[in-house]
Amino acid sequence: MEWYTAGALMLGMVIGLMALGVPVALAFLTANIVGSLVFVGHLAGLLQMVDNSTSMLTRFALAPVPLFILMGALFFHSGLALRVFDTLDKLMGKLRGRLCYLTVLGGAMFSTLTGSSMANTAMLGSLMLPEMDRRGYNKRMSMGPILGTGGLAMIIPPSNLAVLLASIANIDVGQLLIAGLLPGIVLACLFSVMIFLQIKLNPAGAPAYEVPRLGWLEKGRAVVVNLLPMGLVVFMVIGFILLGISTPTEAAAFGVLGVLILTVAFRLLTWQVIRTSFESTIRVSGMVFFIIMNSAVFSELLSYSGASSGMLSWATGFSLPTVAMVLIMFITLLALGMFMDPVSMMLISVPIFFPLIHVLGVDPIWFGLLVLLALEMSGTTPPFGLLLFIMIGVAPKGTTLLEVASAAFPFLVCDTILIALMILFPQFVLWLPNLMH
Amino acid sequence: MKSIAAGYNWLVNALAVLSAVTIAVAFVLIIVDVTVRTLGFSPPSYTIAVVEYALLYMTMFAAPYLVRQKGHVFVDALTSRLPRSVERICAKFAYLLSIVVSLIFAWFAVELFVQSIQMNLYDERGIDMPMWSLYLPIPIGFVFVALEFTRYLIGKDTMYTDRTKPRDSV
Repeated sequence: MEWYTAGALMLGMVIGLMALGVPVALAFLTANIVGSLVFVGHLAGLLQMVDNSTSMLTRFALAPVPLFILMGALFFHSGLALRVFDTLDKLMGKLRGRLCYLTVLGGAMFSTLTGSSMANTAMLGSLMLPEMDRRGYNKRMSMGPILGTGGLAMIIPPSNLAVLLASIANIDVGQLLIAGLLPGIVLACLFSVMIFLQIKLNPAGAPAYEVPRLGWLEKGRAVVVNLLPMGLVVFMVIGFILLGISTPTEAAAFGVLGVLILTVAFRLLTWQVIRTSFESTIRVSGMVFFIIMNSAVFSELLSYSGASSGMLSWATGFSLPTVAMVLIMFITLLALGMFMDPVSMMLISVPIFFPLIHVLGVDPIWFGLLVLLALEMSGTTPPFGLLLFIMIGVAPKGTTLLEVASAAFPFLVCDTILIALMILFPQFVLWLPNLMH
Repeated sequence: MKSIAAGYNWLVNALAVLSAVTIAVAFVLIIVDVTVRTLGFSPPSYTIAVVEYALLYMTMFAAPYLVRQKGHVFVDALTSRLPRSVERICAKFAYLLSIVVSLIFAWFAVELFVQSIQMNLYDERGIDMPMWSLYLPIPIGFVFVALEFTRYLIGKDTMYTDRTKPRDSV
């Protein structure tokens, strides 16, 4: 079978079944079963499929995923997140557009304590939108920062998607996690600058209002009691990795321990919190792992059928400059993300893109971060970006897709600026990971 | 009939609880391992192997509960724009296909399970694990997954929830 027929069969089957509403994990499983029968040609292929799927899941490198999810779930369900947010609110003072800045600051902080962009967006949306509406913020100023900031959790460590990407693409988990730290902070700063510019252009979009004045003593107390202890969790995750005390996998367990210590210290740990957090964790990890257990077989079948190598020769045959190839892959990811969830996008693109960047001589950690940015941006790209629809669901009645998409647009510009910085100065991404050697 | 349904529901929930327990076990093992190592002692040799197996058991035992809780990721960009009757046919097709592929997967996992017992195979990791223990949770998980999809296939409930609701996700 020609490589393009094999590739079209495998990719077409997955995409076609997904379009028909078949759950993503089962769409991959169906493609694997059919692919095993077609390319291997006998039932032993199916035994191999089960065996390889099992091996894919029983890898220590995947252990951070449920643990980071548990850490985030405990953080949100215990009320720790609310304490952090309340404190940031107190510190902000009277500032035009304060709720927009608060969204960015709070979102960036949550991102260091959780790895879920969806949870981040949902939390920010439910907390900030009603308040912004009440204070007379226009839709552009209220929805934009939430849509932009929600995705920061994909980049700033600990990011669940970074761990997944690293394990699927066989790159160093710790390096990819740490690689997101600096660009994530820069992106949060770019978001703040964008908010500042938007307010300058249209001050009525974010009216100023009186806030209760707090003394320095009271502010200091709020920081010491509610914010500084969060540093313990950040230190136990990022600090432990950088200091070499624990591997990224082990750091995730210490992150959970850190949040547990804080919930006990703040007397927030209840049986209900534990139950809800674990339930949320098995739902999310179960869903993700159920999908990725099929990823190994899917990429092996693409390789076995000759589709991967054929696609590789075809793509490199154009002799395009490396930057152009990388941008084409980036745009492909954006297009995929318009109608596909991030995990499925990774499973479809990683077996094709990572061998290609290897041939092109692009650093896999750098490219991994670019993939994460594409995943982040695709969630807010019309017409089908998932976060846009979530925002319509929580926004005031009558909000249109166009309004949500135009609110998100300035923040997509910030993402684009970050990508330009990454292309011009790759060390900006690779400096911290290289320190780990 | 009611007691069978109640027993079945209890089993699905019990598997979900076991799934949560495996995460807790993995968490404790890793903390103990790193602490012991940092204190200069020799850490237990089984930590990595047990955690790796826990990931598989966690996934398989959570799988039926996940279907029941409508927690699977799906794309409804196309089907939600179809007429209601066609959308229903697509949904029934999706359930049927999911049942068939789950049972195929379970069947071949049983074959591997039986083979590994007959041939007395071991999985060489940090410690040697009997190979059958690697395959054991797969048929359990997939058969229950098939049963859960059967509930949707023959019942009135649908797996497809509102796309605009924020769901738990990565």
